[in-house]
Formats: sequence, C-alpha cells, structure tokens
Amino acid sequence: MGRDLKRSRLVVAVLLVITFALITIDYRTGESSGGARGVVHTVVGGVESGVTTVVRPIGRTASSLFHPNRYHDRADELAKENADLRRQVADGDEVTRQAAELSALRLLADKGQYTIVPARVIAIGDVSGTDWTVTVNAGKADGLAADKIVVNSRGLVGTVVSLTEHTAVVRLFCDPRSRIGARLEGTQLLGSVAGGSGPNKLVFTLYDASYRVRPGERLVTFGSLDYVAGVPIGEVTKVTDADGLSRTAEVKPYVSVGTLDLVGIVVGKPPTDPGDRVLPPRTAPAEEGGTAG
Amino acid sequence: MSVQLFEPDHEGEVHPLTFAALTVVLLAAAITQVSVVARVPLPGGHPDLVLLLLATAALLEGPIAGALLGFVVGLFGDLLSTHVLGRSALVCCLLGYLVGLLADATERSVAIALVVVSGAVAGGTLANVAVAGLLSDGAAGTPSQAFLRAVVAALYAALLTPFLFPAMAAGVRRTRRARGARRP
Repeated sequence: MGRDLKRSRLVVAVLLVITFALITIDYRTGESSGGARGVVHTVVGGVESGVTTVVRPIGRTASSLFHPNRYHDRADELAKENADLRRQVADGDEVTRQAAELSALRLLADKGQYTIVPARVIAIGDVSGTDWTVTVNAGKADGLAADKIVVNSRGLVGTVVSLTEHTAVVRLFCDPRSRIGARLEGTQLLGSVAGGSGPNKLVFTLYDASYRVRPGERLVTFGSLDYVAGVPIGEVTKVTDADGLSRTAEVKPYVSVGTLDLVGIVVGKPPTDPGDRVLPPRTAPAEEGGTAG
Repeated sequence: MSVQLFEPDHEGEVHPLTFAALTVVLLAAAITQVSVVARVPLPGGHPDLVLLLLATAALLEGPIAGALLGFVVGLFGDLLSTHVLGRSALVCCLLGYLVGLLADATERSVAIALVVVSGAVAGGTLANVAVAGLLSDGAAGTPSQAFLRAVVAALYAALLTPFLFPAMAAGVRRTRRARGARRP
C-alpha cells in the first residue's frame, strides 16, 4: 500500500507540473488559440450542433419527450396517434416561437440597417462553469470574423472571440474581460460598459465627468472599426460615483443571458451611424426631458 | 434492491479498458454539460456532470486513475473554452487524486460515497471559481453567488449519486470482467 501511495503521488505530481506549465505558457502568450484548440472546437462544434438540433425543444415542449414513439409493441394505434398529434402541436408551437424570434431579430437589424447572420446557441459556458461565453452554429464559412458584435432581438449580446469553419465562440457582455464602448442616448458622450458583476448588471463608466448621469437613461454601442454603432445595451439603474474624475453607473442590460437562443452576428455596418433609432420607443414620455443632455 | 457495494482496486492498478471507457464517458459528459444541461431550466441551478462523474470514477478506481481522468477531461474542457489552458485540468486532476485517496472508505458504506461525491462537487465548483479569480480570467459574480452555485451542484450530486454510483460500479465491473475473460 505504501508503494502505491508513493506511485500515485508521483503521477499526480507529474500531472500538476504539466498543468502549471500549460497555464504559464498560455497565460504568457495570451489568446493563442492554437491548432489543438481549433481542432477540438471544430469536432465538438459539430457534435454540439447535432445535439442541439435533437434536444433543443426540451423544456419548452417537454410533452414531446413524455410521448415519444414507444408504443409499437402495444400496437395501441390510438395512443400512438395521440402522441403524434401532441408532438405535432408541440413542434408547431416551437416553430411559431422561432419564427417570432427571427422576425424580431430582423426588425432590429432593419432599424439599424445592419447586415446580420442569424445563428443559434449550441453550447453555454464551459466545463468549469466560470466562462461567460456561448457557442453558436455559424463560423468563418458564414462570413463571420473575430470582434464582431452579436445581438439578439432585444439588443447587445456580446462579441465574437474565436472562430472555426462552422462555429464561433461569443463572449457575453457580462464576462469580466468584456469592455465595450458605449454612448448615452441623445448625447455624443463616450464611455464604456464592463462586465464582471453578474449576468444582470453592467458597470458603465462615462469619461466626461461634467455630465450628470441619471437613472433611466439608456445606452447604445459607440461603434468603432470592428464594432457597429447604435446597438441597444441597457438602461442606467443607479449612479454609483458622482464626484470622481469619471462617472460610473450600474446598468441593467436589455438581454437576459439565461435565455439566449437565436442571435445575430452583425457582419455588415450601416452606411451611416443609426444613432438612437434602434432603441425601443420610450414607454414613459415623462422621462424624455432627462435625456436632452 | 440492495446496493451491492463495490470493492475498490487494491493494487492501484489502472485497467486500460476501464480507463478508456471512463474517459469516453467523461468526455461525453463534458459536451453534454455545455450543450444540454447548461440550457435546460432547472430549479436553483445546474448539476455539474463532469465533476460528479469524475468524483464517482475516482472513488471507484483510486487516486492514479482519478488524477489521470481528471487531467484528461479537464484539458478537454480547457481546449473547448476560451480561458487559460490547463485551468480546469489543474482542478480536475487534484480533485480526481484527492477523491481517489478515499476509495477504500466506500467499502464501509455507500453513504460515505454520497458525502464524498457531493463534497467533491461543491469543492470542485469553488476551486474552479477560485482558480479563475486568482488568474483574473473569468470568474463570474460575487463569492456568495459562487457559494450558492456550489451548494446547488452538491445537492444535485447528492440526488444523482444513489443511482449513478451503483450504475457506474456495475459498468466498471463489467469492463474488468471483459478484460479478465480475455486473459484469465
């Protein structure tokens, strides 16, 4: 038994040395999504796409799972027919839902005159549960490139970080490494929104300290070489620092990351900055005065 | 149905066929975790299939196999992700080793397996968050959120272990017998 323990210690020591070496190398060289990563992403992306096609209706159309085609042996024709009909109804619901989602996404893209590639989420996060990323089933072959903005029908979702032929990994806005240029509605004031405070909160930093940010003001992306402008981000809920050199505020994002399904990757910019027109119309006109800046 | 307790392998030897089968199961679990489990709305949070299966496998197969399996599945998870390579390999390897050291204890009671697996899942979840925080690479939310996630994952593990542990023990026994039959 003592010899065993020694041997197992040796094994684990060797493995730990390897992991430390890997961490050090990868940490130093940064985003080196090298060959092995690409291969694994490609292979697993295919599997995940397949799995999603098969399993996606889970939860929303759970009835289809409880009434599958398992009645051959009993030859119970009526029960089988009943199950088929139930499944058709459930599928119909799913198709209607998807169509509604797709047309809502199209509407947002048309408002901003964005060229989008629609894609579906095929995996969420990573094995350790610490990454705020999703994998979508569109890649280089569909015209995607790194750093493109990803939206859904409500607004900003994140940015593309890595790609294979047919899949792409999207870093969500709430990832601690995410930082996206933002502009206050109705102004030209630049700031940025950063993640890292959980899925329902963003931290907005306004670079101009002379402007007083108020709760209820809304944010859109500022736009840059890669990032498209005018995508709705969220609404200021609380101003946290009003006296320092910059203004910080908490922002509630429009998109809830827990229920992501259909997203669009903005691959083409509009000829002119869409300004604030992509934002949904205000429901409470009383607040309009606050945004004049 | 009485639960047949599994007697761990005293020689600490890694059976190639068993090891291969467990590797396949764990890699499949890693894919299932991100593409199925993570998107099904479940009360409270989500079970962590990878940590759950890894802890069970380590408990059945001992520290060496546990460490190796953890390393392999962790590295696979790292390759799949966008975070620093080797991060989950480190956590899973250590977890597999430490749980494997307790393999002898499962001879006494299946309740120990339940406690060890749930504890390992909670510990693994927290360790993942801690390592991510140390490397300032990911790590979502506040410590209390991480803690809640760990507790939920441990509860799901405790719910699943009574079914999973005997099933995996039976599977492991079968792969060993297949090997033994070939070379009596």
